[in-house]
Amino acid sequence: MQPRRQPPPAPRSGPGNPRPTAPLLALLLLLAPVVAPAGSRSAEDPAQPEDAGVPRRLLQQAARAALHFFNFRAGSPSALRVLAEVQEGRAWINPKEGCKVDVVFSTERYKPESLLQEGEGRLGKCSARVVFKNQKPRPAINVTCTRLIEKKKRQQEDYLLYKQMKQLKNPLEIVSIPDNHGHIDPYLRPIWDLAFLGSSYVMWEMTTQVSHYYLAQLTSVRQWKTNDDTIDFDYTVLLHELSTQEIIPCHIHLVWYPGKPLKVKYHCQELQTPEEASGTEEGSAVPTELSNF
Amino acid sequence: MRWTLFIGALIGSSICDREKFFGDQVFRINVRNGDEISKLSQLVNSNNLKLDVWKSLSTFNRPVDVLVPSVSLQAVKSFLRSQGLEYAVAIEDLQIYHEMDNIAADFPDLVRRVKIGHSFENRPMYVLKFSTGEGARRPAIWLNAGIHSREWISQATAIWTARKIVSDYQRDPAITSILEKMDIFLLPVANPDGYVYTQTQNRLWRKTRSLNPGSSCVGADPNRNWNASFAGKGASDNPCSEVYHGPHANSEVEVKSVVDFIQKHGNFKCFIDLHSYSQLLMYPYGYSAKKAPDAKELDKVARRAAKALASVSGTEYQVGPTCTTVYPASGSSIDWAYDNGIKFAFTFELRDTGTYGFLLPANQIIPTAEETWLGLKTIMEHVRDNLY
Repeated sequence: MQPRRQPPPAPRSGPGNPRPTAPLLALLLLLAPVVAPAGSRSAEDPAQPEDAGVPRRLLQQAARAALHFFNFRAGSPSALRVLAEVQEGRAWINPKEGCKVDVVFSTERYKPESLLQEGEGRLGKCSARVVFKNQKPRPAINVTCTRLIEKKKRQQEDYLLYKQMKQLKNPLEIVSIPDNHGHIDPYLRPIWDLAFLGSSYVMWEMTTQVSHYYLAQLTSVRQWKTNDDTIDFDYTVLLHELSTQEIIPCHIHLVWYPGKPLKVKYHCQELQTPEEASGTEEGSAVPTELSNF
Repeated sequence: MRWTLFIGALIGSSICDREKFFGDQVFRINVRNGDEISKLSQLVNSNNLKLDVWKSLSTFNRPVDVLVPSVSLQAVKSFLRSQGLEYAVAIEDLQIYHEMDNIAADFPDLVRRVKIGHSFENRPMYVLKFSTGEGARRPAIWLNAGIHSREWISQATAIWTARKIVSDYQRDPAITSILEKMDIFLLPVANPDGYVYTQTQNRLWRKTRSLNPGSSCVGADPNRNWNASFAGKGASDNPCSEVYHGPHANSEVEVKSVVDFIQKHGNFKCFIDLHSYSQLLMYPYGYSAKKAPDAKELDKVARRAAKALASVSGTEYQVGPTCTTVYPASGSSIDWAYDNGIKFAFTFELRDTGTYGFLLPANQIIPTAEETWLGLKTIMEHVRDNLY
């Protein structure tokens, strides 16, 4: 039977001798950074201690951040992915700087209205290196994923979504997607998918090693016509942060055209702290190029 | 008649989706003479309004309780005022209480609806007691739901479970044998004020609705208010926080009502708290990363329960102690239960894993309740076979 906690590791490659400064870090530091199967997710493996290897929570955190970033960069509202399962990972912690996580995970297609269909999800695989900086947002992410949807199909679906959006009457008087009972009208799905895409950017930026976000609800929508053909989309979402359980309203403005990088501007209300988080980004093949928009 | 036309004009389109629990109100109407009884009868018998009499017309000077669907509220209020009928809104919004009453009425030998206290805004706290035996203080199981009001799948699963227990008793050997040995207490709405608030004002409200002196922020997190490392890590002392622990342990009357009841009973062996979302099945502790003395057994039971749950639709749950599985949380219900001698203490975080989160669609209620039932039964069977 494997001991629940492993003895402190010998000097290892990576950042110098870390000293625990917070309860979470203290727990992590007692575990050697090994490539380990991230604790069995199902209930069928009694031989495996629940928390062998790297804490599953940190790996999931990293996987989610990587996926938000991936979705944003892919810029495709009809090809959004969600986390299926963390498969393996390792982490290095430096209390002064933050932590670096390598993680491998599977994903499935994001399709809210057809959760119960088997095989529709189709698992893709991603591997990512995520670096969380202490107390700072915007984890640095390097992520690659196997292709889940054929490129041509994805382009077709994006273009279909684009056309659906363009056909919607302006101004849109939408209140709440999903409604309070979790229902999304089929003709409003394109709005939801595009909102999710823009929110991915926001959620990537805001994710830290302890905070992670879900998109709870879209509470107001306005679509403005632009002179060019782009979708100019202004909306408010409620994000749910899990560790504090806070609901955070964010105002997001995005500009999208199928196949082009997504442009996002946002402003979130931080209810607890006096600072408010806001940011601007234009997605491009060149990483971390901030641009005015 | 003038009033029929008047009301008819206000009603508009037909009432749909009577499955909803929300927006309805119970009017307690005073009738003082035959004339008023006759007016009220006409109102009640009117098909348009779909009124439902809870406590019926019998004599004068006895109030009549009528359940008014939300679509008819305006019309009924106008009518009552125009006819000079005195009324008060007796209970806001609790068709779920009506349903509990129905269950108890349908199976009087098995179920009783018991009032264990009241909320901050003076709503009753009702549990359903399922018992087959006489004798004081049989070993008992506590099923807690709806402590966080926005987690609607929790209250919904609880009420479905109540119906399931009564319909399966004496048909399903498992629940029958559980009830032969033990009582089950089910609290479907542990936070009634919050629940009403999510229906009327803010769908994502989590806490109670108690007032915080000196702060404009309302409510405390009822699952940080229990006396188990109260005000420790994983809770906040800021009244504006979603995890505000409250001024002191059991400050929230909703929590105190449960604590007092359980302590007075003195023979609870199992405490299960239903929440959403994340698909997790957890056991103590939340307030510390220390291992609970019974962690090994609790982990085994939880894994078996998660496996049984998954056997229905393939829904996967992660299993583990609260602190490391989700996050540190002090003052939680199951930690209190465990540290007070209730060994089999578990938290379910029901569907889903974030796609809909709190806004789980109605078509997932029954699948969720059905799979959760298998998980609950697994735990209750283990309790039955391992009474201490």
